[in-house]
Amino acid sequence: MAQNVNPSQEQHSSNAKRNDDNKKYSTDNHAVTKRLHKELMTLMMSQDKSVSAFPEGENLFRWIGTIMGPKDTVYENQKYKLSMQFPNSYPYSAPIVKFITPCFHPNVDTGGNICLDILKDKWSALYDVRTILLSIQALLCEPNIASPLNSLAAELWRSQAQYKKHVDDTYKEV
Amino acid sequence: MASTEQIGLNKTWELSLYELHRTPQDAIVDNTEIAVSPRSLHSELMCPICLDMLKKTMTTKECLHRFCSECIITALRSGNKECPTCRKKLVSKRSLRPDPNFDLLISKIYPSRDEYEAHQERVLAKLNKSHSQAALVNSINEGIKVQLQNRPNRSRKGNEEGSSSNSNDPSQSTAQSSESAHNSQGQPSASQSNIMSSSAMASLSMGSTSTSTDSHSLNPSSNTITSRMASPAPSGRSTPSQPPSPGSSLGKSIGKRPKSAFTSERSEESETSERTDQTDTEGEGPSEPLTLNEIELVFKPHPTEMSGDNPLVKALKENSVRYIKTTANATVDHLHKYLAMRLTLDAESQLPLTHHLLNFCIFISPSSGQYVQLNGNQTLGQVNDKFWKVNKPLEMFYSWKKT
Repeated sequence: MAQNVNPSQEQHSSNAKRNDDNKKYSTDNHAVTKRLHKELMTLMMSQDKSVSAFPEGENLFRWIGTIMGPKDTVYENQKYKLSMQFPNSYPYSAPIVKFITPCFHPNVDTGGNICLDILKDKWSALYDVRTILLSIQALLCEPNIASPLNSLAAELWRSQAQYKKHVDDTYKEV
Repeated sequence: MASTEQIGLNKTWELSLYELHRTPQDAIVDNTEIAVSPRSLHSELMCPICLDMLKKTMTTKECLHRFCSECIITALRSGNKECPTCRKKLVSKRSLRPDPNFDLLISKIYPSRDEYEAHQERVLAKLNKSHSQAALVNSINEGIKVQLQNRPNRSRKGNEEGSSSNSNDPSQSTAQSSESAHNSQGQPSASQSNIMSSSAMASLSMGSTSTSTDSHSLNPSSNTITSRMASPAPSGRSTPSQPPSPGSSLGKSIGKRPKSAFTSERSEESETSERTDQTDTEGEGPSEPLTLNEIELVFKPHPTEMSGDNPLVKALKENSVRYIKTTANATVDHLHKYLAMRLTLDAESQLPLTHHLLNFCIFISPSSGQYVQLNGNQTLGQVNDKFWKVNKPLEMFYSWKKT
């Protein structure tokens, strides 16, 4: 009977073994991975070209999102990359979202951290990758000047020509 | 329906112009049929939190948004006390009410919900396969193996390579997988792995839901998936156009076998079947962070108490040594149960009934000749730290309890 074979003598099993391992790790977060998979599927099928996202490498809990600078704004024709790190409690808590591409904006600091209420206390389990990226895209052209992370950007916002120059200087494609 | 667009809608109860002027639609009483696209139907029946079909529907009392009971309760516990859809205040669970009518509606529309979920699971697994690089490498390797297998043995070298990298040639593995199919149909192997997994709280949620019985109502596309799952050798997977094999109904029982998340006994026959079903249904593995420790162990009969004339050892012959891989948080008690199930099943035919469901004692040997009996409530991680430490499979010994 072929049951119960010593793994050390069974070189062929390495493959199955690895799959086995993976399976075990996946059980804990099954609901989370399932939801992320569904989001990925929706995103891949969506026609929206202004925002996109895809898991970074093997890890489904880390995505790279891309947003195009909104038309008729100082950010037009610029492409911003963001990192999204999903907690195991997703979607009950928000992912950590940061700009990878340097971004000159009143609500984005030099480390790429974003100050946005829906990523903090206004998070709802109904937000997903797509709506987060759309919200950040909207934030680009409608900054919240009242609570700036980047005070220079907040000051300059009124003088759009100067502001635009800073935006272009800061922007660096990655 | 509850969707993201509704976030931020005005919270007042004033009726819109449309609502003020609309007239109710007449109920349809004749046999008029109205087609609804599966997609729009799905968005109606979907829980906006888990994006799955609503399960034990709960409706918010004031704003009438629907969620799975589990989802909304978790959301209220972990977040703001408001409706995830429209931010209306939800004080507690009492701001929700169950919606059995909606559950009924869903069960009417999708009578075989398990089937639907199993199908969806497969689609997601396929998607994952396409994005996961590990899976890609895997499939390339498999492809190379298949090529080696199919290549006529032109040279000696090729011959050697082929046989060494492929321990199971097609005929052999067909036999094996049909054997295992038979095995899982005759329920012991399914139930025994299930017992282990449920006893150690690492239960796999989808394992049980995908065990549906009426799998013959599948649509053609999913049928080809299952028949591919059924095909024994890796070659089956790389030829999608393969016609459904006669073994496909057997194959389903392989594929649908509840997966043991907890203990996996490595064996050639389960390898051939499980490897395919893992990659096809449960492919999200490679992307997971490592959270659980694993322990490999070798189980041997106690050398003095289970000597050669012991009926169990005799009945088991070479199977008396067991190789197991499991999680470090499993306890010695779990192993007791496992042994009782597994060994008696293996030795079933040869053992008198009185020996069934034996109690086992588990020992470890910190130094040669010395055997320490292990307490039931220790976890394997603790045992490993205390007695073993070296980086190789943990060796344990078993004997059955004298009563």
